[in-house]
Amino acid sequence: MAITRRTFLKRAALSGVTAAVVLSGTEKAAAQMSPHQEYATIIDLTKCDGCSHLDTPACVSACRSKNQPRFPQPEKPIGDYWPQPFHEDWSDKQQIIDRLTPYNWTYVQHLEVEHQGRKVRVHIPRRCMHCDNPPCSGLCPFGVIDNTPEGAVVIDTDMCFGGAKCRDVCPWGIPQRQAGVGLYKKVAPKFAGGGVMYKCDMCIDLIQEGKEPACVAACPNQAITLGTKEEMRAYAHRWADENQGHIYGDLENGGTATFYLSQIPFENIDQAIKEQENDGKPGRPSMEVGINNPLDEPGNMAKAFAIAPVAGVLAAGLSVYKIMQGEEQHEDSEA
Amino acid sequence: MKIVRHNLAIRFVHWVTALSIFVLIFTGFGQMPMYKRYNVDQIPGLGWSSDFMVTLNIHYVAAAILIFISLYYITYLIGTRRWDILPRRGDIKESIQIFASMVGLAEEPKNRKYLAEQRVAFLITAVSVAMLIVTGLIKVYKNLPGVDVSASLVFWIAQIHNLFTVILLLSIIVHLLAFLIKDNRPLVSSMFTGQIDRAYVERRHELWLAELAGPAIATEEKALIVEETEILEKVENKEESATGESNETIGDCEAIEENKVIERNEITADLNTV
Repeated sequence: MAITRRTFLKRAALSGVTAAVVLSGTEKAAAQMSPHQEYATIIDLTKCDGCSHLDTPACVSACRSKNQPRFPQPEKPIGDYWPQPFHEDWSDKQQIIDRLTPYNWTYVQHLEVEHQGRKVRVHIPRRCMHCDNPPCSGLCPFGVIDNTPEGAVVIDTDMCFGGAKCRDVCPWGIPQRQAGVGLYKKVAPKFAGGGVMYKCDMCIDLIQEGKEPACVAACPNQAITLGTKEEMRAYAHRWADENQGHIYGDLENGGTATFYLSQIPFENIDQAIKEQENDGKPGRPSMEVGINNPLDEPGNMAKAFAIAPVAGVLAAGLSVYKIMQGEEQHEDSEA
Repeated sequence: MKIVRHNLAIRFVHWVTALSIFVLIFTGFGQMPMYKRYNVDQIPGLGWSSDFMVTLNIHYVAAAILIFISLYYITYLIGTRRWDILPRRGDIKESIQIFASMVGLAEEPKNRKYLAEQRVAFLITAVSVAMLIVTGLIKVYKNLPGVDVSASLVFWIAQIHNLFTVILLLSIIVHLLAFLIKDNRPLVSSMFTGQIDRAYVERRHELWLAELAGPAIATEEKALIVEETEILEKVENKEESATGESNETIGDCEAIEENKVIERNEITADLNTV
């Protein structure tokens, strides 16, 4: 059973959850939003029809026009990433809307997915998931990707050097690079850096003003919803329980601020993305279920940092004791 | 005749530190996307170098080892009270004199166990390592699940970590360049064997030699160093008499005792000339 906004509101009200408020329009949402609240979005795939009647889906148009002033304006000619014979330039392909680019921070995947023996059309708005423990932010060599208190993961485009490491460590390869702009141009553009990385910033500026992100406000079907993280998570789980549905983004990469809801298992959707979307280049993210956070393994290893100093002191204590005892003659057989 | 310059504990510290820092610098630079760009990962055996997660994990292991050995060393210094490596008053001035002496503009000052510029260089290196460990630990902490720190802290910690990496790298390069100077080369083997020729010490580390024998340092420490030297001599003597028969052990020991007396007399004589 597909949930409508009305039935959701009713249920939410009945269960005493205030989540309803954030779903009932910008005005009320604004009243509920405090600056240090953590936010999340729900993307309900049962509601998204990919704006089939439009050339460009409404969320994509809204995102593009909202962020237009921030799009890169590279100086040409743009040099290659020496010694490699290429550079990433999307400035002549700004109109592309069928993948993530530095000029297109959200796009809709249009898929045919196998489900219960039928082919079902599925439309999936894709953009940054805004992870709880974002590898892009954690591993940026220059520390210029901020995991904001609001839950938005934001690239500081003024300080970004464009190495594209964030794209490599992101499980979905979300940030996209434009060469010929940014800080690297002022240092050693031929030898280091590669431009600036661009991606969705959850419209953090609007959220801080108490408004909804552009894509949320633009969606004609209310398929994308903003609310506090806890409310959105609670809603997602309740929806999944009531509809025998599936959630993507709650556990993936250690948790994100985006909850996709679907009647079709995400394993099937991922399969379809890999078959129909993936062209071996970045900007067309898959939906691998339960994908691990690359920071988990080093995180476990971090425990060694508690043991190392203790072991150092103990080992040295032993050495010092032996040395002070004048036992150096045995020293060569120690350590 | 040989004198112990670096005991096993110090050699252990030196080489574990060197190895861990080498690995840390290599994997640390690998945290920037440069090994793929510059085809380092095309070198046979280095295919892993452009994989950020592989280099990050190795970086963590090497960092844990560096922390281990740093704490080992600090505990060693405090426990043994052997402060020879720490800078002293006037070391900057004396360092300048040493550099001037390299180009023949001045005479090399009389040296203790370490040259003034070595003590200064040690301080720079030690501070760099300490800063790298502290900033590195903050970087590790902030990447743990559920930990959020402010954007400005993330930014400045990254910059400080990178800055001290450069300082440490420069200090290592200078450390290695020091061996272009011929007079420093006997010190290289001393970091492997622990020993150095007495003649070298007499010529270049007059003040140290005096310390080994004189009352300038605590008696227990002097005793330790003299003892270390004696043990070495004992080993040498044994090697020399290895062709002799084994039942001459008592005779050997007597010979060692005699040597010890001569050695002590020599040291005293040296001290008197100082």
